[in-house]
Amino acid sequence: MISLEGITKSYEVGKEKIDVLKNIDLYVESGEFTAIMGPSGSGKSTLMNIIGCLDKPTKGRYFLDGVDVSEYKEVELARVRNTSIGFVFQQFHLLPRLTALKNVELPMIYKGIGKRERQERAEEALRKMGLEDRMDHLPNALSGGQKQRVAIARAIVNEPKLILADEPTGALDTKTSQSIMELFSRLNDEGTTIIVVTHEPEVAAFARRIIMLRDGEIVTGEQYSGGLG
Amino acid sequence: MTFSENIKMAFSSLFAHKLRSILTMLGIVIGVGAVIIVVAIGQGGEAALKSEIVGSGNAIEVFYSPSEEELRANPNILIQPAFTEDDIRILEQIPEVKTVVASSSSFSSVSYQGNKADSTLIGINQSYFDIYDMKIENGKKFSASDFISGNRVALISQSLKEELFENDSPIGKVVRIGTQPVEIIGVLEKPGGIFSLNTKDIYVPFNTWKMITGKDHITQITLQAVSQDVITTAGEKAAFQLNAFHNTEDSYQVLNSESLAEVIGQITRIMTLIIGSIAGVSLFVGGIGVMNIMLVSVTERTREIGIRMALGATRMQILTQFLIEATILTLIGGIIGIFFGWGVAAIVAAFAGWPSLISWQVVVIGVLFSTAIGITFGLLPANKASKLDPIESLRYE
Repeated sequence: MISLEGITKSYEVGKEKIDVLKNIDLYVESGEFTAIMGPSGSGKSTLMNIIGCLDKPTKGRYFLDGVDVSEYKEVELARVRNTSIGFVFQQFHLLPRLTALKNVELPMIYKGIGKRERQERAEEALRKMGLEDRMDHLPNALSGGQKQRVAIARAIVNEPKLILADEPTGALDTKTSQSIMELFSRLNDEGTTIIVVTHEPEVAAFARRIIMLRDGEIVTGEQYSGGLG
Repeated sequence: MTFSENIKMAFSSLFAHKLRSILTMLGIVIGVGAVIIVVAIGQGGEAALKSEIVGSGNAIEVFYSPSEEELRANPNILIQPAFTEDDIRILEQIPEVKTVVASSSSFSSVSYQGNKADSTLIGINQSYFDIYDMKIENGKKFSASDFISGNRVALISQSLKEELFENDSPIGKVVRIGTQPVEIIGVLEKPGGIFSLNTKDIYVPFNTWKMITGKDHITQITLQAVSQDVITTAGEKAAFQLNAFHNTEDSYQVLNSESLAEVIGQITRIMTLIIGSIAGVSLFVGGIGVMNIMLVSVTERTREIGIRMALGATRMQILTQFLIEATILTLIGGIIGIFFGWGVAAIVAAFAGWPSLISWQVVVIGVLFSTAIGITFGLLPANKASKLDPIESLRYE
């Protein structure tokens, strides 16, 4: 599903060139549940952004579903983000002036789906997240866990093959974190590929495979037993 | 993403900042309103000016402008009377001419029981009332026999009445023009409109004027053509006949009401354009206000832009979103401005006593212009929004 070949990302700070990612090779099969771990500054966010098509690598090739997206232009990358990838962020990133339902409808607006279908699908996604009675609430009226579930509903509503979660439990308490991670496990059971960036071992424990990053390089790519891999 | 989706989105974000949106709109409201007011007042004033100067339809002014040679041969030619009664007879024979309106004026002092006023004494013929819209406030107009026998009767203007009689009724009173007595039979209505001059005039039948002044020339001739269609022909014939009769080259000329109106129209249009451009500056300033607030809005909503991009919005879609927002802002402002300008122009017109003219062209131009302002001044902020880096934007607090 994901195939990174010699991915390097460098930034020029003044005259100095800093390699945030150094020649990364990474393969993620379809249906995997993978955690990317590492201390801050290890490059895990940058790796996440490249996998999420929010950023382009300086060097190397990125094949998503067999297609080389490292050469894609802005418009094509936007389409990939819209249809193939679902994002879940630490700060939820819901639009504060839109209701839960309208927030979930957003990716479908950009996909060009008609109003009625959009509403039906958004309601279905929210129901799946157990939020049937919170659809018309603004994000401010929701708890952290509820917000994150709206965000997950938004991430899955366009039925992407890949969900990228960046510290999805970073702003939640332990109990809520547990329930959110269980939701990810359930989505993974339904066949969605999931990549979680985290520094919490409890969160990473839900994944079947943990990739450790340090100073822009992969240290280990441990495969858990019983993985679909 | 459909257009209506974009418009809905723009309305909701403008609605989220009501006060800010209203204040930003106000700049456009004032700008568009000012332009509408200037254009409407300009057009209304033009119409009023034309109708006042030209009078009722199909009028042709005849005037005498001697050539250089004639002036050199006779330097006093301009002081000498321009027209005679023979000229009137010639002009009356032209089939395209319906009536010949003649008048003579001279300055005289008019006195009543020790009150004295310098005024213009105007001798008129019977057709004068056909062209000039003169209403009698009280008393009566001249009768046909007044014109024929030169009865010593007179009509006076409001300001002359006020000067000589104050609040008393002048009807039936005898005033003296110089030493000659005449009886006042009517007072004219005060002319409407702000362009009218409140002159001190006293009107007498032409034959009476001849008796009083001892002169028989005519200072002003206006022709009325049979119809609008022959107005040019009537004018040409009149000029030709007069030049032939007086054996002159091109000294007698005519100016018909259409060409006079054209000249007036040109002047008022230029004035409207000048004042309108000044009003346009405020529209420009309003546009800068829109740009300013949109830039603030883009900065404030950096995170929203990042989120939208992560969810699959293309740069083009982000650009469109902000462009439509700016355009709706100016369009609503423009529409309010049109109504605002309309109202003010109507009030001004009511006070000035001329028609309030808002042509549909002005409204269409107002709408198009405010849309154009929105697009022009929205382009920079929208472009800035679309160029944002999604990663940086998502991190923006």
